[in-house]
Amino acid sequence: MSMANSFLGGAQDRLLPASIPFRFFLTAAVFHVLAWAVLLLGAEDVALFRGGTGLTLAAIHLVTLGVLAMTAIGASFQLLPVVTRRPLARDWPTRLCFWLMAPGVFTLTLGMALAGPLLMQAGAGLVCLGLLIFLVLTADNLRRASSIPVVSAHGWLALAAMIGVAMLGFLLILDFELGFLDNHTALAMIHMLLGSFGFMGLLVLGLSLVLIPMFALSRSLPQPLGWVQAGLTTLALAEVAGALLYDNVILLWCSLVAGLSAAGCYLWLMRTALESRMRKRLGLSFVLVRTSWAFLILTLALGAAWIADAGIPNTPALTGFILLFGWLLTFLFGILQRIMPFLASMHAAGKSGLPPLLSDLTPEGPLKVHAVCHFSAIAVCGAGIVWDETLLIQGGAALGLVGATAFLVFAAMVTRKLKRTDKTA
Amino acid sequence: MSFSRRTAQLLHEDHQATVVVIESLDQLLAKARKKVPDTSDPSVLKTLQAAGSAIEEEVSVHFAFEENELFPRLEEMGDVAIGVHLREEHRALLPLGKSVAEMARAALENGFTDETWTKFRTVAAELIERMFAHIQKEEMALLPTLDDLLDAETDMELSTAYAENH
Repeated sequence: MSMANSFLGGAQDRLLPASIPFRFFLTAAVFHVLAWAVLLLGAEDVALFRGGTGLTLAAIHLVTLGVLAMTAIGASFQLLPVVTRRPLARDWPTRLCFWLMAPGVFTLTLGMALAGPLLMQAGAGLVCLGLLIFLVLTADNLRRASSIPVVSAHGWLALAAMIGVAMLGFLLILDFELGFLDNHTALAMIHMLLGSFGFMGLLVLGLSLVLIPMFALSRSLPQPLGWVQAGLTTLALAEVAGALLYDNVILLWCSLVAGLSAAGCYLWLMRTALESRMRKRLGLSFVLVRTSWAFLILTLALGAAWIADAGIPNTPALTGFILLFGWLLTFLFGILQRIMPFLASMHAAGKSGLPPLLSDLTPEGPLKVHAVCHFSAIAVCGAGIVWDETLLIQGGAALGLVGATAFLVFAAMVTRKLKRTDKTA
Repeated sequence: MSFSRRTAQLLHEDHQATVVVIESLDQLLAKARKKVPDTSDPSVLKTLQAAGSAIEEEVSVHFAFEENELFPRLEEMGDVAIGVHLREEHRALLPLGKSVAEMARAALENGFTDETWTKFRTVAAELIERMFAHIQKEEMALLPTLDDLLDAETDMELSTAYAENH
């Protein structure tokens, strides 16, 4: 493997200024707070949500674009130059990407909450421009990443999915005003699945091949199974798109089987990484990471229950909730709480005497509060969705809001400690 | 993890051995906490014996080999930052490793008092944290780079010299 050749190999030469990845991470933490707050405000519509503008759609996009995409972009800008051993030619496009994405997501989600077509179109335009910059910079880096073909392949596929998601998203927004699409609901579903399993999912599957062995100090993972995982995920996405466009249930089941097989490969790889690890105690972050894997399987099981019409109340909303808040957000915060102090330590090294200890850069209290509130929020909101109980969903969202605030405090504290190191240098 | 160059493989085996000692120290600290451990207990005895020898070996021979033989070669290739960063970590680890080894040997002879145990816990905890982070970086960055950096002849020369010094 060879993130290898990478992670430190000239890493400092390729470390972006700390302000670049950290602005994405901090903004993601702010959007996380907003997402739970908006879900709290729109709690009464959550259980029966099947699409359309309003607070629930705004909360969903605060999570997908505001938290997940914002973090993925910041992490990719920092990690890819290190992985490919090629620094970015210039920093300014990454800053421009941020200044398009952050106001874009805010405007778009405000437009969704208020059902304002112009706000949605303006926000979507800004977001698409930001994503375009991300696409160009990431493609340029992946093109040079010859030493990690399986991880690169996941990256390319994720970028392809992102293009599809952005194009569909823009069409859907125009359709809210103009009403020219016959199959708005099916396209919205494809947009959602391509965004969560395609763009974000493939990034998670690909980066896990590098990040999990790195944090656990385990051996390289077998590449062939990584290729199978990428192939099966792509097949599942193609099948589900076909199934929804042509209303074909058999194809829907085929896609679920392919998705479950991809998840099986992924979990087998992750189990291999953990079984061969040299570091035994992996800490709170891995509690989140491991639980996110369980949520991935739960999402697919709920998907099966949905297709089979198994009688679980409000399955569509529940499946979407577990997918976004259970699998993707849980995994992301598990990894982010490791990456932020690690990056901060790399930036702080050499500035003020001895390299700082990671524990000095990792405030544990806010992370514990976040973990407890995050898991409680998922359980309570999930129950609220099943029973269509607004009060339960509000309670869960309030817990989520406390957890999100705690994570924001953590992110702010890490940033503050890094700034202090800069000053004492 | 396996490497195509023997030098990288030898350093990796060193890391594995060090992680075993560091993990064992970590467990000793977690189990005993503030209570002074009984140094006649077989598991405590084994941990302290390993800490008294293996860590010092790692922080002296291993570090010196990297600093004298590997980092200069990387620097010649234009990869300067890796050597600078790892040297800085060595600078932090070296006194900690020596101190833990000395304290472990002293404890094997005289046991721990409240005072010596508190000091041992503090220094060992810092060593454990720094050593894990350091090995993590070397495993993921330095060793795979050696597969690209060294040709077969240099690899044989370096690995033989390293094995003889060990």
